[in-house]
Amino acid sequence: MGSTLILVIVILAAVSFDFTNGFHDTANAMATSIATGALKPVVAVVLSAALNFLGAFISISVATTIAKGIVPASATAGADGLSVVEAALIGAMTWNLITWYFTIPSSSSHALIGGLIGASIASVGSSAVSVHGIVQKVVAPGILAIFVCGIVAFLATSAAYMLIRHLGQEEARRGYRYGQIGSASLVSLAHGTNDAQKTMGVVALALISTGHLSATHFAVPFWVKIICATAMALGTASGGWRIINTMGNRITAVESPQGFAAESASAATILASSYYGYPLSTTQVVSGGVMGAGLGRLGGVVHWPVVGQMVLAWVITLPAAGLVGAAAWDIANIFGRHSEVGAIVIAALAAAGGLGLWTLSKRNRVTARDLDRTNVTPEQEAERALAASPVLA
Amino acid sequence: MSVLATPIVDWSAMWKICVVALTAGAGVVVAFGFLLLGLQLANGARAGGFRLGGYALSAVCGVLCLGVIVVGVYAMTKKPKSKPAKPKAAALVIPAGPPVKLLASSRGS
Repeated sequence: MGSTLILVIVILAAVSFDFTNGFHDTANAMATSIATGALKPVVAVVLSAALNFLGAFISISVATTIAKGIVPASATAGADGLSVVEAALIGAMTWNLITWYFTIPSSSSHALIGGLIGASIASVGSSAVSVHGIVQKVVAPGILAIFVCGIVAFLATSAAYMLIRHLGQEEARRGYRYGQIGSASLVSLAHGTNDAQKTMGVVALALISTGHLSATHFAVPFWVKIICATAMALGTASGGWRIINTMGNRITAVESPQGFAAESASAATILASSYYGYPLSTTQVVSGGVMGAGLGRLGGVVHWPVVGQMVLAWVITLPAAGLVGAAAWDIANIFGRHSEVGAIVIAALAAAGGLGLWTLSKRNRVTARDLDRTNVTPEQEAERALAASPVLA
Repeated sequence: MSVLATPIVDWSAMWKICVVALTAGAGVVVAFGFLLLGLQLANGARAGGFRLGGYALSAVCGVLCLGVIVVGVYAMTKKPKSKPAKPKAAALVIPAGPPVKLLASSRGS
């Protein structure tokens, strides 16, 4: 009974994490499209939500890897393993909400890994963690992601502006706005296949570990696909305007050719990295793309203090989510190992914390209306970009 | 020691990612630029030949852009092209013993 109750709580925590993942990462796909007025904010997030939902059904390879490749089913057998997974999810979710409150784009995947590491250390001790593995799987890809996509976006933006010299400025900007819809859609689809499946994998893992699913004849149950895809889509559709504002407006003033270049470079980098089995964080890839696109335009400016805040958040994501994960496991453990009371208590604490942050966020709300630029003409867009540039202003 | 012997960066995969990202990411932006240029040429042309040429340029570039999207979606359905998880690969959490051995190993999560 205890194990079943904890399983239900783990599934609820996984779905809640998926929801925060959705609204936290909407910015990755849609921020620049909203910033340039290519799409109305509400239309952008609904489109992104639909593509995230669709993307969750394209393949189950990521879910399979998580359920069978990363965490051995034997390791999480029973309520003890489930408690670790629940604590990890709470660590990741809490860090997602904190960075959302402070309007900082950060990696949900790294938060999840951090939560797992923290909860594992709390459970079996620090000897369980491989620093080399963390550097190889998280730190190095995180650094490389920014540079790879940044350089591609820089070159793509430079090329786009070379072509724009031969085009009418207005036609070019209008044309690239249409292009942005396609490139942003591809990023949304890729995000759905990656991130919704991560949660499917965690849920499937929990089902395997409690004997509700066979590890040898593995298939993600349809209801798991549906709830994960729906949670991700609902999270995406709920907006995440605070982070969209940072990604689309605060890093650099984005024009439509830059937005198209950033999104195309991001989509190409994410898909290539997934295909070659070297996954990079979507958030860091897109952030690198936006920075590269900002620098690729003559007179383009990147607001380095904002970038500095983001990098700081990326650096502390792993330890911070880990600390919360470890704290969650320790609190649950007060009530005894395998205790359903502990599982309920940490879930309630996480819910209260989330509610508190949501209430605090109302003090400085960012709404869809604040971000709507669809009525901005290409000329006004150019003037805005020019005003943001100390070189050309 | 086998864990420590695993290189921190898989430069082979990284190199491939750079080439593909640059080709597809920058290529599609250039192709889309030529698509717009072709449309502008076609709309502004008085002679039928120039108009046809402009539309042809746009059509070719449009097909290229669509091709990149199709390849992208194909890559999503086929991913990840990675080796199956091996215990000897570097781990985030070393499977040191019971009761919990999380994040044991893998490439391509």
